[in-house]
Amino acid sequence: MSSPIAIATRAIDLRSRADARHDAWFRWLLASCGLLVLAALLGAALATLWGGREVLFGHGFAFLTSAEWNPVSGEYGALAPVYGTLVTSLVALLLAVPVAFGIAMFLTEIAPAWMRAPVASAIELLASIPSIIYGMWGLFVFVPFMARVEPAISATLGRLPLVGGLFQGPPIGLGLLTAGIVLAVMILPFICAVMREVFQAVPVRLRESAYALGATTWEVVWHIVLPYTRGAVVGGIFLGLGRALGETMAVTFVLGNSYAITGSLLMPGTSISSAIANEFNEAVGTHRSALIALGFLLFVVTFVVLLVARLMLRRLARREGA
Amino acid sequence: MTEIAMPLAHSPPGAAAAPAGAAGAAAARLAVRKLDFFYGTHRALKGINLDIPARQVTAIIGPSGCGKSTLLRVFNRIYALHPGLRATGSVLLDGEDILDPHYSMNRLRSRVGMVFQKPVPFPMTIFENVAWGIRHHERLGRADLADRVEQALRRAALWDEVKDTLGKSALALSGGQQQRLCIARSIALRPEVLLLDEPTSALDPIATGRIEQLIEELKSDYTLVMVTHNMQQAARVSDRTAFMYLGELVEVDATETLFTRPGKRQTEDYISGRFG
Repeated sequence: MSSPIAIATRAIDLRSRADARHDAWFRWLLASCGLLVLAALLGAALATLWGGREVLFGHGFAFLTSAEWNPVSGEYGALAPVYGTLVTSLVALLLAVPVAFGIAMFLTEIAPAWMRAPVASAIELLASIPSIIYGMWGLFVFVPFMARVEPAISATLGRLPLVGGLFQGPPIGLGLLTAGIVLAVMILPFICAVMREVFQAVPVRLRESAYALGATTWEVVWHIVLPYTRGAVVGGIFLGLGRALGETMAVTFVLGNSYAITGSLLMPGTSISSAIANEFNEAVGTHRSALIALGFLLFVVTFVVLLVARLMLRRLARREGA
Repeated sequence: MTEIAMPLAHSPPGAAAAPAGAAGAAAARLAVRKLDFFYGTHRALKGINLDIPARQVTAIIGPSGCGKSTLLRVFNRIYALHPGLRATGSVLLDGEDILDPHYSMNRLRSRVGMVFQKPVPFPMTIFENVAWGIRHHERLGRADLADRVEQALRRAALWDEVKDTLGKSALALSGGQQQRLCIARSIALRPEVLLLDEPTSALDPIATGRIEQLIEELKSDYTLVMVTHNMQQAARVSDRTAFMYLGELVEVDATETLFTRPGKRQTEDYISGRFG
């Protein structure tokens, strides 16, 4: 006959064994969620690598270094699409980051309270507009507009030393600059939403102690808020950059789809994703392999860009003694 | 009643001009007159009149929500950062009303420094933490700036601990060191008044002791106003103590008088621990 205490002890024992089992299941569940991400990433990379093997390994370095893309004669060089992808994304970042920063700063430091929430929601709504809409707007509204202002751009910015060459060309509206601007509009809400979020998370007492030293709004944001949130801000910028690098529809509509590499932003170009979108339908054999290889290259480009950003961030942190 | 107000002994000759009723006050550096403060429509301070004498430590005590921090935050107008807050009445700093919209914010913040409850080092190096505020107000050469930073850190009794790590992030310092850094940062601007908002509430007893000692040392050069919820601390470091309750200033007197022979019943109840 076991005592009541022994029975209770056994019940606790059973209970704790069950708890341990449930915990172990739960941990496995979470771990597999995490592993799923890695598996998906690896799978996508391998699938594109495999699909593009004919061109990647058959053509070797020529695929990376050649700007010649001619499916008829079987020449596949990825330089023009890579160039177009990088340039349009860079233009987009250069335009979107300062504006996003300005909006985020306005909303967290200056805007009256009644205005903050509505504008913040509007920004998040902008982020959810499908890219095809931006593409249509770009083609029907923005391209004609650009065609009208490009002569003025050529006549002014085109005359500058050093950078002048970037702004010369025929006023056709389509081109790298137009695509960059449309991309900028698209990624702006992403970057801005992240910036606003993290600026808001800066402790009030940090701001107050900076203002208490007599600092201006600009000084507080630039020297206190921004360094405090640097990691997250860079993360937000790269979220935008990631979208810009991979964006397909909006870019395809306004880029002009020409495989020529020119020094001018006003000239048409192509990008990795728009090349794929434009040609995938009629591609067979080597051509198809070349397009999949382009896809793999987009992977690599995105990865390298993110890696470089990480390293830059780490070096910056070390220099500032953090 | 005034016989124990020793600080009078070394106050300037103009002290006699102190308003009647401000017992023991030397020349008032800060004079609060009919100050009301509103959070939206809620009246958090009700007709405060208070003289804060120069080169003394004035403690403001009272139960939570009595308005002591609110009062302190009027003295450098830091409340103005937040929408919906408003102060009426006047606060005279050396005779000039700082609540006057024409009073330069820059001037005010360089003359009235503030140290907050929790230490808040900026996300930059130790040197930059101190130099940053100076640069806003003055253009100094590299050597002069380094001098000013060293002076401030020495004055805040932190120099010996950080002189070899000035280039390191301030976030790596201990809580007590961070708070002394915040004090260094404020006095680097050479203010006249230093506001301390429960400066030791987030610190351990040893760090608290160092800060209290520092406050004692600083009063030869600065006028200090300290909000504290710790009555022992007020008794230890302050020359005068003001007791606030429900947005009103109940009583202000030399610290010793206020704690041994309080003039008002509410004060007595509070300091003897009957409420609060």
